[in-house]
Amino acid sequence: MAKVTIDDITIEVPDGTSILQAARMIDEQHGTHIAPPTMCYYSKLETSGGYCRTCIVSVTQGSEKDPRPMPKPVASCRTNVMDGMVVKNTTSPELLEARAGVVEFLLANHPLDCPICDQAGECHLQDLSYENGKEETRYEFNRRRFDPIDIGPYVKLHMNRCILCYRCVKVCDQLTDKRVHGVINRGDHSEISTYIEKAIDNDFSGNIIDVCPVGALTDRTFRFKSRVWYTNPVDAHRGCEKCSGKVRLWMKGDEVLRVTARKDQWGEAEQFICNTCRFDKKKTSDWTIEGPTKVNHHSVIAQNHDDLRKLQVGVKKQIHQLDGVKSELGKGPLDPNNI
Amino acid sequence: MERKLLLANDHIEGIHTLDVYRKHNGYTSLEKAFKTMKPDDVLEEVKKSGLRGRGGAGFPTGMKWSFLAKPEGVPRYLVCNADESEPGTFKDRYLIEHLPHLLIEGMIISSYALGANISYIYVRGEYYYLITILEKAIKEAYAAGLLGKNILGSGFDHDMYVQPGAGAYICGEETALLESLEGKRGNPRIKPPFPAVAGLWGCPTVVNNVETIAAVVPIIKDGGDAYAKIGIGKSTGTKLVSASGHINKPGVYEIEMGITVEDFIYADAFCGGIRNGKKLKAVVAGGSSVPILPAELILKTAAGEPRLMSYESLSDGGFATGTMMGSGGFIVMDEDTSVVKNLFTFARFYHHESCGQCSPCREGTGWMEKILKKFISGKATMADIDLLWDIQSKIEGKTICPLGDAAAWPVASAIRHFRSEFEEYVKHPESIHDVKHYFRLNNLEIQNA
Repeated sequence: MAKVTIDDITIEVPDGTSILQAARMIDEQHGTHIAPPTMCYYSKLETSGGYCRTCIVSVTQGSEKDPRPMPKPVASCRTNVMDGMVVKNTTSPELLEARAGVVEFLLANHPLDCPICDQAGECHLQDLSYENGKEETRYEFNRRRFDPIDIGPYVKLHMNRCILCYRCVKVCDQLTDKRVHGVINRGDHSEISTYIEKAIDNDFSGNIIDVCPVGALTDRTFRFKSRVWYTNPVDAHRGCEKCSGKVRLWMKGDEVLRVTARKDQWGEAEQFICNTCRFDKKKTSDWTIEGPTKVNHHSVIAQNHDDLRKLQVGVKKQIHQLDGVKSELGKGPLDPNNI
Repeated sequence: MERKLLLANDHIEGIHTLDVYRKHNGYTSLEKAFKTMKPDDVLEEVKKSGLRGRGGAGFPTGMKWSFLAKPEGVPRYLVCNADESEPGTFKDRYLIEHLPHLLIEGMIISSYALGANISYIYVRGEYYYLITILEKAIKEAYAAGLLGKNILGSGFDHDMYVQPGAGAYICGEETALLESLEGKRGNPRIKPPFPAVAGLWGCPTVVNNVETIAAVVPIIKDGGDAYAKIGIGKSTGTKLVSASGHINKPGVYEIEMGITVEDFIYADAFCGGIRNGKKLKAVVAGGSSVPILPAELILKTAAGEPRLMSYESLSDGGFATGTMMGSGGFIVMDEDTSVVKNLFTFARFYHHESCGQCSPCREGTGWMEKILKKFISGKATMADIDLLWDIQSKIEGKTICPLGDAAAWPVASAIRHFRSEFEEYVKHPESIHDVKHYFRLNNLEIQNA
């Protein structure tokens, strides 16, 4: 076990825990907001993290044995805690300034086309720049431009929006059996691509949409159907032989507009889902509805999401059938009278 | 003072062949090491010699070797970094071209000390002709029983391979080099783990510069103590310096550490003074990434001491008034040189060579290049100088590998020491075509101060 102090809060964590994980543990225990933001780290993907540099923290004391501070800010997602380590994140103005610099770099070549981007409203880059960035950009040059391409029948790639977090590369590497997806070229010409623009054809390829923190990879079956904050997220499941079948449905009225994995409080998929669940099962009758998703009040999605009241008749009917049946999550019986 | 340990025989005809090399005492260090020394003795001599990495960072080689993990049943590797791509540095190319057997001898001795049965020489893609030279030399060494099974009856087996890169500056970074060597995209790895623990194919690996490995040969020949006596302070031995720019005699020079910079620039044995009798304006002392220094600071430290060609003296005064030894790429600029134009060239290089893995370097290098382009096309404003300063400060120290720092330092030092030149470009865009104009202006300012 190692004792680590982050922003004046001390916690004891197992050896080998990263600073980021320790900070998240503190937030979960104390309800604080000291965990550094992440754009490329994904706890479910091995070797992810270290690229975007938004999670940098300053280590003011290396460890109990060697109290020297670390000379440079370190990526908290890829640096493990040491016993007696002291870390500053939100309490260091210099660090916050450095992070604002990273945000500016990430936005330098970003097209800022949020008004026409499907990801707007659930985009991590939007959150990051609101919370950690500056109001204005100082970048005055033409932004780099790529043409959007279709990688397979389900996924659209807008390279302009990409921040090169490598998450989708890791998904294709670790989740799917054939690696046809990677990064070509280098520097700010780097480009996510498939081998000679080959379509990604794999049962779990749709997960690259979920892990993408920005609007670079979007769901072609959902594109331009609705802004996400006009849809209602509902947790649902079905018996699926390929994946857990536990998903989130994004509904408008009776219609299932989109299916995604369920995301935890850190924006990560709880369980990856298969393409059949994601792209083919777009009818309410395909799913067993568990109930509305709890939406964080910080999210713009919360603007249009107040419990089940907005759900339309068909869904209410299904929930009615569930009456008295314990849901899988153990939430207890749902009483339609309370809806 | 000129002192030749590595390049003593480089003028001899046919020295690149094994026969001629052996005639001039080649492979005697190898025989000495294999017949009279244990691997640990070799390591001990290297430690005693105080040899420091010649690739740029100057980390003590003996210490780096002693960090090598030695788990049972896991192979260890020695990798020679011949991906010399730093603008202004061309010493490794010279060494391999003329003395390939010196490198190979150093490689075998080092591998013996490290217990590495396989070694790789990773050669920069643009140096394709060196690959032929090295492969020929390696073939000769195999034929003479200096490579292969049971070398010189010692029971030590060793195989050596040459691997060309595909032309990327970033593959000179040791972990990017290992990725490239493994056949992957040359992106630097996140450290830790360091290559000494998990390097090539996840096995303990030592990555050393060509010159570092070659220096092992004289160390074993004369002993670590004798080597440590050469040089000054912690900068022991000799150093190959690639001198280029506006000097009378550009080329690769082997110097004993501790000679003065003034000597090196003006002595006939070395650079032979500034070309066409012009005045010295600035020097980039260790390859394009190290801070540029104006004439007064490169010749004398801030304290007024003469500056010496050594790790300590060149970095005296930190980055405020000092620079770094780096890889020994000594670029001299005369009074007619535009620091801003030169900086634009450097910035363009770093933009081109950034691997694109982490965001500050990927986006920042291109941004700096674009702003510098504004300066040399007469469109910049005063605010751009501060913006440039701010961008470099946000890249430095925030990236995975040192390429971000390497891109930031030249910009920072140019603004620190030559701010008036940037201002001149803003105030009088026409001076972009008349470089003498602002140097005269600079000189006046220095005299008035």
